[in-house]
Amino acid sequence: MDRLSFEVEEGEVFGILGPNGAGKTTTIRMLACIVSPSGGSAKVAGYDIVKESVNVRKSVGILTENPSLYERLSAVENLEFFAKAYGITDGQRVSERIKELLDFFQLWDRRNERVATFSKGMKQKLAIARAIVHDPPILLLDEPTAGLDPEASKLIRNLIERLGSLERHTVLLCTHRLEDAERLCDRVMIISRGASKVVGTTKELRNRMGGHPKLEVTLREVTREVVDKVRGIESVEGVEVDEGSARLLVAANDVEAVAPYVVRALVNAGAMVTGVSVFLPSLEEAYLKLVRET
Amino acid sequence: MLITVMLPLIIILVPAMMTIPGTSFNIPTTMFENLPLEVKLEIAGMNATQQIVYIFALYFFAPFFLIIPIMASSVLASDSFAGEKDRKTIEALLATPLTDGELLLGKILVSFIPSMLVTFLAFVAYSAVVDITAFALFGGRTLLPNLLWFALIFIVTPAVALAGIGVTVIVSVRVKGFREAQQLSALLVLPVMLLIFSEVGGLLMFGPTMLAMLIVGFVVLDLIVFKLGTSLFRREEILVKSI
Repeated sequence: MDRLSFEVEEGEVFGILGPNGAGKTTTIRMLACIVSPSGGSAKVAGYDIVKESVNVRKSVGILTENPSLYERLSAVENLEFFAKAYGITDGQRVSERIKELLDFFQLWDRRNERVATFSKGMKQKLAIARAIVHDPPILLLDEPTAGLDPEASKLIRNLIERLGSLERHTVLLCTHRLEDAERLCDRVMIISRGASKVVGTTKELRNRMGGHPKLEVTLREVTREVVDKVRGIESVEGVEVDEGSARLLVAANDVEAVAPYVVRALVNAGAMVTGVSVFLPSLEEAYLKLVRET
Repeated sequence: MLITVMLPLIIILVPAMMTIPGTSFNIPTTMFENLPLEVKLEIAGMNATQQIVYIFALYFFAPFFLIIPIMASSVLASDSFAGEKDRKTIEALLATPLTDGELLLGKILVSFIPSMLVTFLAFVAYSAVVDITAFALFGGRTLLPNLLWFALIFIVTPAVALAGIGVTVIVSVRVKGFREAQQLSALLVLPVMLLIFSEVGGLLMFGPTMLAMLIVGFVVLDLIVFKLGTSLFRREEILVKSI
């Protein structure tokens, strides 16, 4: 890592994006006190990751790159082992928690079967259950929807949303799936080669890297006259023309406010308007642009 | 287990079937000469066959019981951390709040308990076979168990087992995979074999003095091994070796 520095607020869902080898998994491992930093410091749940590593591990639930499940044990046995390893000694509480998790992940019917017989998606769900069996305040999730079908992915996304917004768990989410980051994360950090490149909400990142939202107007035919009419509007900052698809991209400080003026100017100039929408720069474009730059 | 049943049968039945000259003693002379005085006094009134059976059953085969827990635990102990690395389960385990000492102790006990159970069962079988087959030879007197063997089985053997298992677990932490750990752990029987050959050669003899030395030596070694294990335990290195 290269002087990585960031803060995550309590109850926040914070995403870490980056290309392969950027240091996402290493960051998670350091914060979970599995590997030691070569320099610098960090606190997780108020505990120093070097001096108070046991307390950090008690406060954290981690979903690792590999599911890390004991395949010769059953689903219940895996969860029982890790519940005890995380200090839950009350048998009744362990049983109730395991039932709650296996019910949620739709694994209750397979609870006594060996994990070796599970599909990849089922193992991933069980691994997430293992990460939250002790109900930790902080979750470190490394690619939680990797290998899951759309239905299971939706289940996990709903769970993360619930853990973050309703139950106020703090979630650190490493993912390649930008749609997950856009949907789930309050803020996102893009890292590359061990260093943080940009941190912000997904909207801020889109605007910063991809520019502000633009007004997309589709016409039946684009002529020079109609383009000049739009450029003449006071609050319009610029107009991009795509003659092939007869599309104009109008840049303005407030696209929603300028939209009626643009449409009126086009109609008065004799243009046939077939569609008007707000064009948002995507997180994917912002991410790719940033990654290419580094 | 088979050995603990077959060996006493062989050492008791074969001499009983062979003609042993009344006054000559055909076991290695140096071994006989190095017997502790109290043992020599014990066998003074016995005939040659009785002496051979007595010496072999009660003294000569005693060190073999030190090999049993080491061999019985080698697979489990080698697999302790190396197996977790092979099966990619080590990361989740290292992420738990279990301390380094707890992880080490847990892995040691997983090997120690079954190996000691095997040793105890082997001792029971060995004692039974010795007593049953020697019953007639010694006029209805049973030879085992005695105080020396109780100390051997319940004090010395656990101490030796803990040291051997501890070293194997430490090796398992440091190597990349299970096969490497198991190959290296096989070397642990060498010190015990040295003990056995020393006994055959008459340099050492199983007795109260040797027992006391083994107890003190191995208890100290157990503490050193555990301390060494916790100081060498680096989660980061273990994880890197598993990738």
